[in-house]
Amino acid sequence: MAQDDISFTDLMASSIHDMKNSLNVQISALEKIAAQCKAHGDTQDYTDLGGVIYQANRMNANLIQLLSLYKLDKAIYPVDIAECPVAELVEDALAMYRPVMAFKDIGVEVDCDAGCYWYLDRDLMAGVLLNALNNAFHYTRDKIRIAARIDGGCLELRVEDNGQGYPAHMLRDERVNASAAGVNFRTGSTGLGFYFSAQVARVHRNGGRQGMLIIENGGAWGGGCFVVRLP
Amino acid sequence: MPSAALTKAKVLVVDDYQGMRTILRDLVRSMGVTRVDTAASGRDALNHLRTNRYDVVICDFNLGIGLNGQQVLDEARLHDYIGVSTIWVMVTAEKTAEMIMGAAEAKPDEYLLKPINQNILEGRLERLIVKKQALRGVEEALRGRDYATALARCNQLLVAEGGKAPEILRIKSDLLLKLGDYDGAKTLFESVLAARSVPWARTGLGKVYFHQGQYEMARSQFRQVLEENRMFIEAADWLAKTFDAMGDKPQAQQVLQAAVKLSPNSAYRQRALGETAWRNGALDVAQGAFEKTIQISEFSSNKHPAAYVALARVLSDSDSPEEALKLLKRTNEVFKDSKDGVNIAIQAAAVQSAVHHKAGQAEEAQAAMAQVEALLASHADKASPQTAMEVAQSMLALGRKEQACALMRNLVKSHHEDAQLSGQVQELFEQAQMGEEGRTLIAESREEAISINNQGVLLGRQGQFAEGARLLRIALQNLPHSEVMMMNLCGLLIGQMRAEGRSDALLAEIMGLLERVNEINPDNAKYRQYMALLRPAGGR
Repeated sequence: MAQDDISFTDLMASSIHDMKNSLNVQISALEKIAAQCKAHGDTQDYTDLGGVIYQANRMNANLIQLLSLYKLDKAIYPVDIAECPVAELVEDALAMYRPVMAFKDIGVEVDCDAGCYWYLDRDLMAGVLLNALNNAFHYTRDKIRIAARIDGGCLELRVEDNGQGYPAHMLRDERVNASAAGVNFRTGSTGLGFYFSAQVARVHRNGGRQGMLIIENGGAWGGGCFVVRLP
Repeated sequence: MPSAALTKAKVLVVDDYQGMRTILRDLVRSMGVTRVDTAASGRDALNHLRTNRYDVVICDFNLGIGLNGQQVLDEARLHDYIGVSTIWVMVTAEKTAEMIMGAAEAKPDEYLLKPINQNILEGRLERLIVKKQALRGVEEALRGRDYATALARCNQLLVAEGGKAPEILRIKSDLLLKLGDYDGAKTLFESVLAARSVPWARTGLGKVYFHQGQYEMARSQFRQVLEENRMFIEAADWLAKTFDAMGDKPQAQQVLQAAVKLSPNSAYRQRALGETAWRNGALDVAQGAFEKTIQISEFSSNKHPAAYVALARVLSDSDSPEEALKLLKRTNEVFKDSKDGVNIAIQAAAVQSAVHHKAGQAEEAQAAMAQVEALLASHADKASPQTAMEVAQSMLALGRKEQACALMRNLVKSHHEDAQLSGQVQELFEQAQMGEEGRTLIAESREEAISINNQGVLLGRQGQFAEGARLLRIALQNLPHSEVMMMNLCGLLIGQMRAEGRSDALLAEIMGLLERVNEINPDNAKYRQYMALLRPAGGR
């Protein structure tokens, strides 16, 4: 292949892939060190590392989202919509996130029937859940609730927190629920997570219906709610 | 707390990257597992697997140069290094189409996407241990090719789960297809599809139509699957097969070429593309596909001799006889110790003969054909249908029409119920511009075989078991591969024993026949029935 034929986006994608691998090794090493700190009673170091690991996980989640979006856009992502026990999906996302939760002492409630199966791409939805948890983690006071139920031929997956909720302008703005990219949502957000989640929801189709992402306030504690509905 | 089943497990971690290997090993250890081994390559892993029994294997898919994770799994299964209860977790950095629906025979129990932490790994392993336990009876029966028992066990599980568990439904549907219960399979697929257009169920429905010869219906099912989910590549393989059966080879090639773009690392698919393209005269496509087939299995012991032989023919057709001959030499070296060694040697010699003939080297062509004949004479009962067809093809090229026809007559008679094989024989004649003669030959041969079998069965119905058996014994001397005839003979001999009393000689003959059938086709449905008849109840 001639040098000129290399597309910039392809180069970005392969670099992201490479960065992701390095980051994974870093995260594993950090978790190991954190566990040692905890065992030795170095509470301050343990808490500090918690923040570092949280940031590293955010970076990792972002890279995965970028890579998945690149592949979805190029239609080379192997979308695999298959029966999946939703409770396992939630369990996996929590397993991924639990070390981070432990640092901030956040309580997690799960409300999902063990027999609840739905048709979804497990890996993409894991990314969505992780993003929702990252969000909730950042804005909650001390509680997060994950709820899943089948309603009107759709799976409704909710991640709620007991924080201040989304600002009014975000809820009013229809583009937010349509998830336009690049909008500054809550402080510091690039909008990538929302964009990714909305795209993933849309990949899920059944008959003429399409999945969607909804942002609202309320839920069990009146805080922010991140809701994905999949047909 | 990790379960006792997990902490007591013997675990193998396979990763070519030292850093990742250590991470995975430490993760496993921190779950309380004490017996953890590591391997740095596919070969290293196979050495461990050969000498140890592992309960859990955690294997990276990408292992650098050499075997990849899937090939390690395939080899481990092939050589029985792992049992039904071994849990195989494949770790990958990214999801690929192959993982969803590769042509891989033995899929791992789970794919795990990086990053992996202890919670994730532990949670998955605990879940897999429970699942594996539940499915153990089914998997054992599947491994023993006892499909009826596997089906019965699936049904039991489904009753216990209230008919909901999709994974068991899927296994059950595969079994129904394997057992040829197309109506049962159709009902299952349609009931799943009534709720939602699920790709595996729609592909399954397409397979039912395909097996029933309803190609138009099959085609529209496979097309719909691909429209709704183009990554479900199994549907593309079947769509190509359907076009092929409908005689539309250009479309079949197009479908396979698109599928190969999405998922290039399936040897099965590359070979199918090679064969289709070659028939279409697209020599460059055929060459590329066969080369890729060979390359995919370069480090694997599960190689595809048909791709080597076919590539040699393609090279010969593309006027590269030297390349073709070089490849045939290599073929003989690669396969000299394989269990199909004789067949491959015959095929290679047959193709060699055709290559020389096309290059105008008449003497060399005849010499190679003489070698074919010598090998055939000394291994007559070992020659596979593929070998017979390769030889016939070369004989036709050399103008030895009568010999080729005699060979094909025997082949069709030995497999007179195998429509696919008859189709291949027909194609062989078409390629030699002898379509009409081929059709007649196939029709006559089938009729002849049917007539002999019918006579035997009729004699049996009239109680003349010994007469019928005598007739089929004589016919079998010329058709040593006919499964149908061997099974009919078995039926007659069993009848004879019932009428005249048990005899050691008859029993030995029956067992010999059953053994041969089982060797030719381990999935023969009647084999199990007869074995059950011969064994006293509860004797297993």
